[in-house]
Amino acid sequence: MKEILISLNQTQKVRLQAALQHLDELASQVSSANLAVTVADTIPVNNEDGILKGHGTTEFDGQVVATLCGIVERVNKLVYVRTLRARYKPEVGDIIVGRVIEIAPKRWRLEINFSQDAVLMLQSMNLPDGIQRRRTAVDELNMRSIFEENDVVCAEVRGFQHDGSLHLQARSQKYGKLERGQLLIIPAYLVKRRKQHFHHLEQYGVDLILGCNGFVWIGEHAEPIDSEVLEDRDKIPKDKHRDTPLEVRRNICRISNSVRLLSALGFALSVEAIVDTAEASKSSNVDIKDMLGAEFYVQTAEREVQRRASLLKKKRFV
Amino acid sequence: MVGLSAGEKQFMHGGIAQDLRSDGRQRLQFRPISIQTGVIPQANGSARVTLGATVVIASIKAELGKPAPLRPDKGKVVIFIDCSPTAGTMFEGRGGEELSSELSVGLQRCLLGGKSGAEAGAGIDLSSLVLAEGKICWDLYIDGLVISSDGNLLDALAAAIKVCRFIFLVRFEISSPWQVALSNTGIPKVSVIVEASAEDQLEVNVSDEEFLQFDTSGVPVIVTLTKVGRHYIADATSEEESQMSSAVSVSVNRHGRVCGLTKRGGAGLDPSVMLDMISVAKHASENLIAVLDSEIAAAEAAEDDGS
Amino acid sequence: MASGPLETYSPSQTLERRHQQQKRKSFNEIDWARSDGRNFHQCRPAYLRTGATSSASGSAYAEFGSTKVIVSVFGPRESKKAMMYSDVGRLNCNVSYTTFSTSTRGQGSDNKDFSSMLQKALEGAIILETFPKTTVDIFALVLESAGGDLPIIISCASLALADAGIMMYDLVSAVSLSCFGKNLVIDPTSEEEACQDGSLMIAYMPIRNEVTQFTLTGEWSTAKINEAMELCLDACSKLSNILRSCLKENVLDFTD
Repeated sequence: MKEILISLNQTQKVRLQAALQHLDELASQVSSANLAVTVADTIPVNNEDGILKGHGTTEFDGQVVATLCGIVERVNKLVYVRTLRARYKPEVGDIIVGRVIEIAPKRWRLEINFSQDAVLMLQSMNLPDGIQRRRTAVDELNMRSIFEENDVVCAEVRGFQHDGSLHLQARSQKYGKLERGQLLIIPAYLVKRRKQHFHHLEQYGVDLILGCNGFVWIGEHAEPIDSEVLEDRDKIPKDKHRDTPLEVRRNICRISNSVRLLSALGFALSVEAIVDTAEASKSSNVDIKDMLGAEFYVQTAEREVQRRASLLKKKRFV
Repeated sequence: MVGLSAGEKQFMHGGIAQDLRSDGRQRLQFRPISIQTGVIPQANGSARVTLGATVVIASIKAELGKPAPLRPDKGKVVIFIDCSPTAGTMFEGRGGEELSSELSVGLQRCLLGGKSGAEAGAGIDLSSLVLAEGKICWDLYIDGLVISSDGNLLDALAAAIKVCRFIFLVRFEISSPWQVALSNTGIPKVSVIVEASAEDQLEVNVSDEEFLQFDTSGVPVIVTLTKVGRHYIADATSEEESQMSSAVSVSVNRHGRVCGLTKRGGAGLDPSVMLDMISVAKHASENLIAVLDSEIAAAEAAEDDGS
Repeated sequence: MASGPLETYSPSQTLERRHQQQKRKSFNEIDWARSDGRNFHQCRPAYLRTGATSSASGSAYAEFGSTKVIVSVFGPRESKKAMMYSDVGRLNCNVSYTTFSTSTRGQGSDNKDFSSMLQKALEGAIILETFPKTTVDIFALVLESAGGDLPIIISCASLALADAGIMMYDLVSAVSLSCFGKNLVIDPTSEEEACQDGSLMIAYMPIRNEVTQFTLTGEWSTAKINEAMELCLDACSKLSNILRSCLKENVLDFTD
């Protein structure tokens, strides 16, 4: 990840520190159960019997000891450590964005920020003509016309094969090649698993895809191509060399910089937070490029404090 | 190397044509620059420059040496740039070496000026480094280190060297037989001890308390204009650099004079475009120098607060 | 050594005269002569010949004053297996000096800076798309170094490439220039290079009107850059004509 390093002046430093401290306090109010550990820290277990040691833990001198840095999570009797900085850990059904790195027989290999390359088989992919049929040798020869090397592709995690390789599938019109936009790579833990990962921000004309693997796509809105209407397919190539309109491009840049800023601050990326940041920058007349500057950086941190504080208040009232 | 899909490439080219790049900058705008000085205590001068996600460190060390026999009246400056694989896997092995030497040569050409020395636009006055002609001089070792790379390394490194600002050289006192009075008028009471034990053997007494100040703020800045498609952009990120056809790095000093120039990239350029790029780079350098000056002032204020 | 016709590619007289007049107006002090008796805007006589070595795909010999270089071109041949796949051809350049090339016995080592500069100067001229997966090797050897080595190597290499039958957009010719105070001296010798205030080197494709490589050291005003570029580009165009006629003679030799 390419981190943004910002130089703050003295007052900004003080304000930022205050905001971050405030956030810490708020976090501790919400949940005292979450315990942060580093390697070789003892995880307190109330000596209850039948504790299950999960990922990132080991036993030493009769105590449970962490082998990773992260947050201790407990599910019933299972104790494990969830890491923050490690690479993405896929789960079945995750929506991810990846980059094609190789075309192999009947499959594409994708880089998805996992410890190994993901595999997208030709047969787990809807054909461009939309017809369900067996894949032929001709289809195999035409693979490059679907995805090329370096293409950015959106897909879903299908599962692990018995040999341990990760397989993807793209059996819907919403999956597939992403064009006219930019890919940002952020730490995977900042993207929370949610029902919806595709967002069409209508007011901006922008598509936002928050891949669970930390790959975020921000691009011009593209209507899913209706595979039933085959006649329309001839029109698409003509459209290909059209440039993105300036207004939409401005919005794309604004949303992208919101994502960059939030990830630099280490705030979780939800579509609400992103749009909120973009709107805040617009309403306070911050130039797109100045969104990465020091002043807006501190302002965003302060706004997050207010947001969480008000959330907490609401909860208490309820 | 950054791989981009056809769609992303087209998006980037379109953005540059519309004067709105991926991070919201216009074609000739720089990313935010921040500076820290005095980051390496054991060096005589050092600075860290952050340009967006590009981070570089420059350190200047001075050691006593002997002037080259062909130039007895000049000190020596050695520039070495290290692109260590810690900044990214692409710097491992030969790729890093090639880039290192390319950057070193570029900086040498842009910062050290012509062979005859000071008047020729060198930021560093080599003749002021001589303590006793033909006998002793300071050798300045300028080392640059790329900490993390997101394009425009040359400009960042040149800025880092420029803002090393003050190199504190150890002061000397002279005794016979060579009474060398340094003509360095800007620095008060500089004296050198050079004691002769034999004809060619010199003994040098170094006094640790007193220092000679050597100002690098006269070093020119480098502005690299990268040509992507039909337009050229300043301060390209590594994604943008992957799409360049050619790039021109122009070094410009405080007086608006061009002090050196290198062209990178294979594609040819029309001579008139070239001249145009030089004048644009000159213009951009004024802004860059102003930004660096204010950042230096801020960095020094911060240092004073700390001490 | 040169037996054939010696040609010169100095910038045109009118240009030169104009500049000299300008100079006379501004200051009256251009009285020192160059060690070899040339005036400031006069280039050394050039002698060029193709086919210097027999085993190479193409080769050329160049003699500019007492600077002498041989360039041989090998290939295109298949890239080594270790190289990654590439759909355009690769260019591999190597510049080396003989041990006796300078007045003091040198190391005879490779010159990495010149190698990479040569590569960049030629890359833009060669149609690399025409030989995918293959490499062209260019080896330049400086027999005698007497100033202006790099521009001569570049010009000679483009001649050798043409001799090897490699597709190019245009011939690249290169000229260097030294700056002494307010005077511009074209095609400097090594003594002149040793004490110059600034230098400028241009590699240029005259027909396409494109600069493939440009370096500049020392402090320059824009007006001086303009003047120097004008001189160099003019000399480059003339040098290119010499290269061209050299190649034409070669073709005539074959057809005879």
